[in-house]
Amino acid sequence: MGNILFNVGYGHFLVLAAVLFLIGVGAVLVRRNALIILMGVELMLNAANMTLLTFSRMWGDLSGHTFALIVIAVAAAEASVGLAIVVAVFRGRRNVDVDKLTTLRH
Amino acid sequence: MNFSFNPADLGYLIPYLIMAVAGMLLVLAEAFYRGQDRSSLVGLTVAGSLAAAVASVVLYRQIGDARVPLLGVMLIAARTSYVLSALFSVVTALAALMSPAHQKEHDWQIGEYYGVMLLSASGMIMLAHAANLVTIFLGIETMSIGVYVMCAMRRRSRRGNEAAMKYFLIGAFATGFLMYGMALLYGAAGTSSLVEMQKALATTNNPGLVIAGAFLLVVAFGFKVAAVPFHMWAPDAYEGAPTPVTAFMAAAVKAAAVAAMIRMFGLALGGDVLPFGSLGWASPMVVIAAVTITIGNISAVRQDNIKRMLAYSSISHAGVLLVGVCALGLGAASANGAIVYYLIAYSMTTMGAFAIVAYVGSKGRERLLVDDWAGLGAQHPGAALAMTVLLLSFGGVPPTGGFFAKFYVFKSAMEVYDGQLIWLVLVGVVNSAISIYYYLRIVTAMYFREANQPFAPTRSGGLLFVIAICPIIVLEMGIMPGFWVKLVGG
Repeated sequence: MGNILFNVGYGHFLVLAAVLFLIGVGAVLVRRNALIILMGVELMLNAANMTLLTFSRMWGDLSGHTFALIVIAVAAAEASVGLAIVVAVFRGRRNVDVDKLTTLRH
Repeated sequence: MNFSFNPADLGYLIPYLIMAVAGMLLVLAEAFYRGQDRSSLVGLTVAGSLAAAVASVVLYRQIGDARVPLLGVMLIAARTSYVLSALFSVVTALAALMSPAHQKEHDWQIGEYYGVMLLSASGMIMLAHAANLVTIFLGIETMSIGVYVMCAMRRRSRRGNEAAMKYFLIGAFATGFLMYGMALLYGAAGTSSLVEMQKALATTNNPGLVIAGAFLLVVAFGFKVAAVPFHMWAPDAYEGAPTPVTAFMAAAVKAAAVAAMIRMFGLALGGDVLPFGSLGWASPMVVIAAVTITIGNISAVRQDNIKRMLAYSSISHAGVLLVGVCALGLGAASANGAIVYYLIAYSMTTMGAFAIVAYVGSKGRERLLVDDWAGLGAQHPGAALAMTVLLLSFGGVPPTGGFFAKFYVFKSAMEVYDGQLIWLVLVGVVNSAISIYYYLRIVTAMYFREANQPFAPTRSGGLLFVIAICPIIVLEMGIMPGFWVKLVGG
């Protein structure tokens, strides 16, 4: 058992990333608060980053590193727009529960 | 990867640079702008996008049949990419022309809108050139983030906010899938270049990674082009967004997402191995295509709201485009040109149709229900005639561009080895017939029913220009398709 603690390999990172990704997907599908959904999406993106970095190291290829940096920057931009939209919705309704977004429905 | 910056590469990217710089200038101009009326910003927007379109045409004529790798094969310049970038630029110009009247009428005059629109269009042009996972991701995000902002611009409208929120959450969710799928493919291939990836993936000793990555990408692009079962956001987002933004979303964003699919599935995941077999990406894609065409049409039949009806119709058009992508993956040589032709015809039709929706509505009364359009033919015969032509093009009735678009896509699907996609073509043709029913509902309302109250349309030169030019282009594409077929290289 001690081996796992001291010999952390690529596989462990990949499995951790896959678990993080699934937690993120679960958060998006299950939680109803727009902010938590946004956090779930961030988790998914970070899982992808971790996968990219692991593979980048595995292949000895630096493009994965640059890709991860770009993803971090884009995720920040996306989160800022998303939070602005959340604030705009909150101003109108006093809550950000996605199940209560029912003005548009037929 | 040895990479050296070659300034000459920038010459091939002039359409992109014009778009991006004009977008930034517009955002800057807004900061120094005084007064309420933003219509003078429209001039710069239209000038910028038309300049990008002209630059694309010039480069298209210069480049010939060459495929020039740019900036260390991050991007590729080829004829198709310039056709697409010209299309995106023209659609952006049309959307900008539609906007000022709608902004004034419905009271959401925000100048940043135009800058964000051009920046978003610059993302689309990047997608037209993309040749690397990084540029595909950057292009999609540049485009989408801009459109989220545009969608949310009508801040005081409950519907607008709700549409923006739904669109954003689904879009961000799809980005998560896209990114993780790309990471897995990168892991299987060891390269992020789409060209090298195809070779590396075909001989990988990790087929599980490839299958999972391709599957995640199918899901992600399914969300982006609004394919069933990932389509539920589209009717809400299309209905709640301001009409010019809806037009931009339905025409340009969808076209750019399909352009990215051509790259991703035709290039990186194409070839003789990856699409085929029960675990290849083409098997889920053909099912999604068939379901998308059918469900989109059946749901459209039930709609009374014209924007929602057009949203469902655009979902079913996405299905036809997916048929083209499947044919491309399964080795039909003509599929690439057929998809691009379809995108041109579909984008022009969509821009015109939403322009008429914006025209018919007026302050406090958007007139979005089919019943509200009763009697349009008697009071505004020009608009009704234009709408009729566009609806026939949507339905695929000759002699319109929509007919030849469907014809070429289905023809390329027939070319697939062993007639594997014939059943899909049959589904598509039957659905075209169904779709005529709900398109004609609008036509009968316009011509054969009395208006319950007089129309007070939003009048503006830009809007009328879009309403006039789109049906003309659509008819021209249907009567003389030869020029366009040569253009797309079919």
